[in-house]
Amino acid sequence: MKQTIFTLLLATMAHVAVAQEKLILLNEGNWQSDNGRVSYFENGHVVSNQWFRDNNGYKLGDTPNDIIQVNDTLIAIAINWSNIVQFITPEGKAVAATEDVPNNRKLASDGRYVYISSYGHECGTVDGMKYFTKGYVAKIDVNTFKVVAATEVGYEPEGIAYYKGYLFVANTGGYAFQEDHEYETTVSILDAETMQLVRNVDTHQINLYGKMSQSGKYLCINSPGDYYDIQAATIVFDCEKALQGDEDCFVTLPYAATYNCTTMDGNFFAIGSRYSYYTGEYTFNYITIDPEEVMVSMGGPGVKETLPGTMLEDIKKMTMPYGIYVNPYTGYIYATDAGEFVSGGALYQWSPEGILLGKHGVYINPAHFLALPPDGNFTGIEETVPAKQDDAYIYDLTGRRVTYPQRGHIYIRYGKKYIINH
Amino acid sequence: MYNMRLRDYRRYKRQYIIAVTSLSWKTIICGVLACMCIVRVYAHDADTIALAARMDSVSGKPAETMRTLHVHASRPLATRQALSGKELQALSTTNIADALKYFAGVQIKDYGGLGGLKTVNVRSLGAQHVGIYIDGIRVTNAQNGTVDLGKFSLTTMETVELYNANKLDNCQSASEYASGATVYLRTRRPTNDSLSAQLRFASFGTYMAKANIQFARKGWRGFVDVEGLTSKGDYPFRYKSEFEDTIGRRANSDIKYARIEGALFKGGLSSHIYYYYSERGCPGGIVRRLSDKYTNVGREWDSDFFAQMSYSWQTGSHMFKVNTKYTHEYLRYCTDYPENQNTARVNNHYLQDDIYAAACYNWVPLRWLSLNASCDIRYSKLRADLRHFDNVHRLDQKQVLALQINHRGLQAAASVLHQHYKDYTRMHTGAADPLDKFTPAITLGYTYRRLSLRAWYKHIFRAPTLNDLYYTQAGNRNLKPEYTKQWNIGAEWHHASPHWNASIQADAYINKIENRIVCLPLKGTYTWSMMNYGYTYCRGLNATGNVRYNLHDWNFSLLTSLTWQRDVDRTNRESDLYDKPICYSPAISCGITGVVAWQRLSLTVSNLYVSERMWSYADPEDVLKPYSNVDVKLQYQHPVGKKAYLGACLEINDLLDEQYEHIPRYPMPGRNYKLTLSFSL
Repeated sequence: MKQTIFTLLLATMAHVAVAQEKLILLNEGNWQSDNGRVSYFENGHVVSNQWFRDNNGYKLGDTPNDIIQVNDTLIAIAINWSNIVQFITPEGKAVAATEDVPNNRKLASDGRYVYISSYGHECGTVDGMKYFTKGYVAKIDVNTFKVVAATEVGYEPEGIAYYKGYLFVANTGGYAFQEDHEYETTVSILDAETMQLVRNVDTHQINLYGKMSQSGKYLCINSPGDYYDIQAATIVFDCEKALQGDEDCFVTLPYAATYNCTTMDGNFFAIGSRYSYYTGEYTFNYITIDPEEVMVSMGGPGVKETLPGTMLEDIKKMTMPYGIYVNPYTGYIYATDAGEFVSGGALYQWSPEGILLGKHGVYINPAHFLALPPDGNFTGIEETVPAKQDDAYIYDLTGRRVTYPQRGHIYIRYGKKYIINH
Repeated sequence: MYNMRLRDYRRYKRQYIIAVTSLSWKTIICGVLACMCIVRVYAHDADTIALAARMDSVSGKPAETMRTLHVHASRPLATRQALSGKELQALSTTNIADALKYFAGVQIKDYGGLGGLKTVNVRSLGAQHVGIYIDGIRVTNAQNGTVDLGKFSLTTMETVELYNANKLDNCQSASEYASGATVYLRTRRPTNDSLSAQLRFASFGTYMAKANIQFARKGWRGFVDVEGLTSKGDYPFRYKSEFEDTIGRRANSDIKYARIEGALFKGGLSSHIYYYYSERGCPGGIVRRLSDKYTNVGREWDSDFFAQMSYSWQTGSHMFKVNTKYTHEYLRYCTDYPENQNTARVNNHYLQDDIYAAACYNWVPLRWLSLNASCDIRYSKLRADLRHFDNVHRLDQKQVLALQINHRGLQAAASVLHQHYKDYTRMHTGAADPLDKFTPAITLGYTYRRLSLRAWYKHIFRAPTLNDLYYTQAGNRNLKPEYTKQWNIGAEWHHASPHWNASIQADAYINKIENRIVCLPLKGTYTWSMMNYGYTYCRGLNATGNVRYNLHDWNFSLLTSLTWQRDVDRTNRESDLYDKPICYSPAISCGITGVVAWQRLSLTVSNLYVSERMWSYADPEDVLKPYSNVDVKLQYQHPVGKKAYLGACLEINDLLDEQYEHIPRYPMPGRNYKLTLSFSL
C-alpha cells in the first residue's frame, strides 16, 4: 500500500516538476488597434492569451515584431508600431522599456547586449541623438537599457543574427516601392564590439525581407522579390565564409522562405509563396533545407520539398500560415494560422516527427515564437549548432515528458507513437 | 511583419475600410454609426397642395418648393428620407455627414476630429455603393470611389435626401440609376436678394467665418458662398479599463479649409461652380507609447474644383435634359516628417480629371405612362507620382431604359441599365479587361388613401476603382465588380391637417453582396492585394415616424428613427465566422429628435443611440461599447430694423460627454460647444 502511494506520488511529481514545453508567442494584433498580445503555452495548453497584461496590469502595445531570450533572466520584445523595446523576465514581468529605437524590427543578442535593426532614421543613444539617412542597427546594454552605439547599414534593415562577435544584417530597402531609392541586395557585417561596418556582401537578390533563421554559421534569408518582375528567392548564407571574405559565401535557391525556422538537426524549414502582380498567380513551396549540403553543392541537392509527418498537409489546410518554429530544446514543431484576421489565430503543435498533437486558439496574427528552456537555464541555444540526437525520452501526445508511462496509453518515443501494452 | 509594408498605404487604406468589414486585417478598420431619421411628409395627391401651401406660409419658400414637392409627391414609390429647410437648420449639422446620420439605415464612418474622413454607408452596402448627387449630377472619385462628405456645406443646400436604390423621377440620367443607395443634395434656389455673414467659435480652437450673397431677379437666381475654417482639433480623450488609464489630447487632427462656390439658375437651367482647398492632419490610432515624441505624422492637402451645368426643357409630352460636368481633383499625401519614424517617407501627388456629359429623354405618351432613356459618358484620368505607376484613363458609358406606370393608385417602375467600362494605361500590369454589364431594377407600389405600399428589387454593381486595379503593390487588374442585390418591402402612412402632421414609414429589406472587393494579405508572401472575397447577407428593418404640431407661434416636432439589422458573413461555411454578424455592424441604432420653436426662438434636442458592435471575434472584449449621443441646439434670431436679423446659435454636442469610438483606438471628441453669430440683410 505504502509503496503504491509512493509510486503514485512520484509519478505525479515527475509529471508536474519540470514543464517540458514552454512557449511564448507574440500576437501582432491589428495595426493601430493597440492589441498586440503575448500568449503563453505550456505543456499542451495555452495558459493565457494576454500573458503580458496578466503579469503587468497593462497592455503590451501595438504590433510586437520580434522576441528573443537575452540571458537567464531577460527577454527582449521589439514592439514596432509602439516604438518600444520591452524587456521582461522569463516569468513575464516587465523590467524596462525604451523608445530610443523607433521603428524597430528584429533582435539579436550575445547575452550582454541586445542588437536591433531599425527602419527609422534617428536613435537616442548615450551620446545624444544620432541621425541616419538609411536604416541602422542599435546596440543596447542590458545593464542600463541604454543604446550605447548605433551604426548605419542599408535602407530598411530587417533580419539580424549574431555569430562569433559579428552581426549579420539583411537589408531590404523595402520602402523602395514608395521612396526614392532602390531595393537593397546586401547583407551588412558589423563588428559587434566596435559596431563598425566590416563589409557588405552583395547577394544580388533584392529585398532581403522577413524572418531570418540561424543554424550555427548558416543563415536562411528570404527575398520576396518585388512582386513584379523579380521572383522570390531563398538565400543560404555561410557566415564563416563571409567573414573570411569568400565570395561564394551564399547560395540562392528558387524558393520563397516567407516563414522559416531552424530545426533540431540544423536544417531549415521554409514555407512561402512566390507572387506576381502581373499574373496574379502564386507558387507555393514547403521545403526542408540542409544548409551544409546546399553550400557544398552550391545549390545542387540539399533542398527537399517535404516536411515531417503530416505537417505539409496540415499547413496546406491553413487559411493563412503566419509563422513556423521548432522548439530548440525539445524539437517540437509549431506553426500558426492567422485565419481570417477578425477571429483569433491558431497555434498548431507537432511532435518532432510531424505528428499533429493539437491546435490551440490564440489571438490575432500569431507570428513570433520563443521557447523557454525546460529547466529554466538559458544556454543561448539559438546560437549553437544543435547536435543531431536520438530522443530516448518518452513523451505524451501533448509533448510532456513522461517518466512513468501507463498501460494502454499512447506515447511517443524515438519520434514514433506507440501504446504501452505491458 | 506584413504591417510594415501596409503602413504606408495609409492613403490607400483609408479607401478600403468599409469594403473589408468582415475580413479585417491589420490595417483594416471600418466605421459605423447611428442613425435616426426625419422624413419630410410625403404629400400625395390632394394633400400635396394643402401641405405645400402650408409649408410656404411657414418657410416663405416659393412655388419652386411646391413644384419639387409635387414631383416627389406623385411618386412615393422609392424608399425616401429627406431633410429640408428649417428642419435641416434645426438639427445640429455642420456638414452633409452630420445630416445623414439622422436617417434610418445610415452608418457614418468617422475617424474622429474635424479633419477626419467622413463617409456614409447605407444598409451595410459599403461607402462605394452610395452615390452622392448634387442637383442630379454625381460626385465621383475614379481613384477610390468614395466621397468625403465633410467637403460639402449644408448652407448652400436646400434639401438632403436619401433614396435606397435610386430616385424614381421622370427624366433621369443613367448615372442616377447606377448606385445601390443614392444621396441627393439639392442646391438652394434663392428667392430674394440678401447678404449674410456668420462667425463661429467652437471648442478645440475652431474658428469659422462665412459669407453669402444671393439674388433673385427677372427669373435669374444665384448665390456666391464663401467659407473658411481653422481648427486645432486637439480634443481630450480618455481610455479607462482595468488594464489602462490613458488620458491624452488628439494630436495631428487639425484642419484648415476654404471653400467658395456659386450657383446660377433660370428656368430649366441650373449651374454650379465649386472650389475647395484643405490641409489636414491624419491622426493615427491611440497606441501604447512611452512619450509623445513620435506621432506618425501624415498630412493631406486637397484641392477640388468642379463646374457643372444642367439644362432641361419640355415640349408637349416630351422632356429633355442635358447634364455636363468637369472635375479636377488634386491630392497630396505626405509622411516625410521627423516625428514620423514609422513609415516610408512618402510625398505623393494625385491628379484626377473627369469630364462628364449626359443626355436624357422622357416621354409621357399616356397620362399613366412615362418612358425614360438616357445616355451618359464619362472620361476620367488619373495621374500620380507613385512608383510603378503610369497614367490611367477610364471611359465609362452608361445607358438606361426605364418606364413608370401610375394608374389609379397602382404604380410600377422598371429599368435596365447598361454599363461599359474601359481603361487605358501603359502600366506593365496592363489595363483591366473591359466591363460590360446589364443590371435591372423593378419597383411596385400601391396607394390607398393615406397608405402606400411598395416592394422593390435592385441588382447593381460597383466597378473596381482605379486604386483597386492599379495601385502600386496592391492593385489587381483581374478584379470582378462587386455585386449587390437588394429586396425591399415597405409601407408608409401619413396624415396632414391644418395643425397636425404625422407620418410613419417602415421598410424591411434583404441585401446580398457578392465578390466584395477587399484588400487582403497574400498567402505566404509579405504583401497584399485587392481581391474579390466575401459574401454578406443582410436583413434589416428601417422605420421612421414623425409628428408635428403647430399652433399660433408655436411649432413642435418629434422625429424618430429605428434601424434593426443583422448583417452576417456568408463567405465560407467552414469558417467560425460563418453566419456571424460582420464586424462594426450594430444590431440596433435609433434616434429621437425633439424641436420646440416659438417665433424666432428654437430648441432642438436629439439623441442617437448605437448598440454594441464587435470589431473582432478573437476575444469577447473586442467590442465597441454602445453609446448615446445627445446634442442640444438653441437658436434665436433678433430683428434689427426692417429687414435685417441678428442671430445667435449655441450648440452642445455630446452633452453627456460620452467617450465613444467608431473605430477602435480612434476616439471621438467628447462634449463640445459651438457658438455661431450671424447677421443677415
